Amino acid sequence: MREEVSESDRLLLAQVRDGDPQAREALARRVGDSAYVFALQLTGGSQSSRDIAQDSVLRFFEHLSSFDSERPLEPWLYQIVRNRVRDLSRRDRLRRHESLDLWLEQGRSVDADPTADPAADAERDELRRRVWRAMSQLTVTHREIIVLRDYHDLTYREIADTLAIPQGTVMSRLHSARRCLREIIVADDGNLSSRAPARRGDQ
Amino acid sequence: MTGTQHEFDEALLSGYIDGELTQGDRQRVRLHLENCAECRQAVEGLRSLREVTMGTEFRVPEDTQWDEAPRGFLSRLLTNVGWLLAIAWFVGLGAYVVWQTTTDSESFRFEGLIGFALLLAFVLIILSALVDRLKIRKNDPYRKVRK
Repeated sequence: MREEVSESDRLLLAQVRDGDPQAREALARRVGDSAYVFALQLTGGSQSSRDIAQDSVLRFFEHLSSFDSERPLEPWLYQIVRNRVRDLSRRDRLRRHESLDLWLEQGRSVDADPTADPAADAERDELRRRVWRAMSQLTVTHREIIVLRDYHDLTYREIADTLAIPQGTVMSRLHSARRCLREIIVADDGNLSSRAPARRGDQ
Repeated sequence: MTGTQHEFDEALLSGYIDGELTQGDRQRVRLHLENCAECRQAVEGLRSLREVTMGTEFRVPEDTQWDEAPRGFLSRLLTNVGWLLAIAWFVGLGAYVVWQTTTDSESFRFEGLIGFALLLAFVLIILSALVDRLKIRKNDPYRKVRK
């Protein structure tokens, strides 16, 4: 649960509002990266993602003075990114799409254990690629809710705020999205759980 | 995994792995999982999927690849002052051209025509930008973003 804004975020916001250029740069870098990744995920790997992120960050700072600092930043930022993506999609201005797995970081997974078996690492990397390739095939409605929960770690309440849907709808839509994702993976490559390294002992 | 086989909504499994259920629902799911191998397998599958998704990192642009830093107060102030000066110049030039063309001076007729055309061109450009902005403002997807 992360609905309370962290003390460090509150401090950072206060510093930005006081005109501290270093705090502003630090916040810009942080929200820029988050906005970029979310735009990438939302557009299914469009090359317009950097422009979307940049525009969203400008919007973010433009309205920062009126933002309630007691609320977490991310749902608000993601709402801006989402609106921008929808706006461009409506006007058919999104540039060429790539599959999401092509944008994954090479050999730097966040849970990679340096002492682990290289073959297991390679298998895990391949599994990630398959999952994100499958993610590219989901509808935007399904993709956005999965990435908000499983990648960006938003709570159901924060997701409801971001997507402007009732909190009660989040769970059912998320489950439906996960089921679709799983079906795509299984249809493409076989059973997910039988290949997930973390679940090997369960086979 | 159908509603007829289970006493609870299948979506509760997602709520369960996300830790978003009420205590009562969590207890119901836990009891059900003790007796249902199919749902246990489904929960494991959902957890695996979530772990894979969470354990991913995307490439982000280098700092130098961002074209423009967020605009500060001074930048916005300079833009606004620039616009005010430009508007004052248009108004001043317009008044001058109108005044000149309404006089009987024959020698100014040609220059007045050029000035008037130039002014009209600027007015039309500004008008078109204004119409676009009004249209965007009407459908501005960010208008609900301010909180």
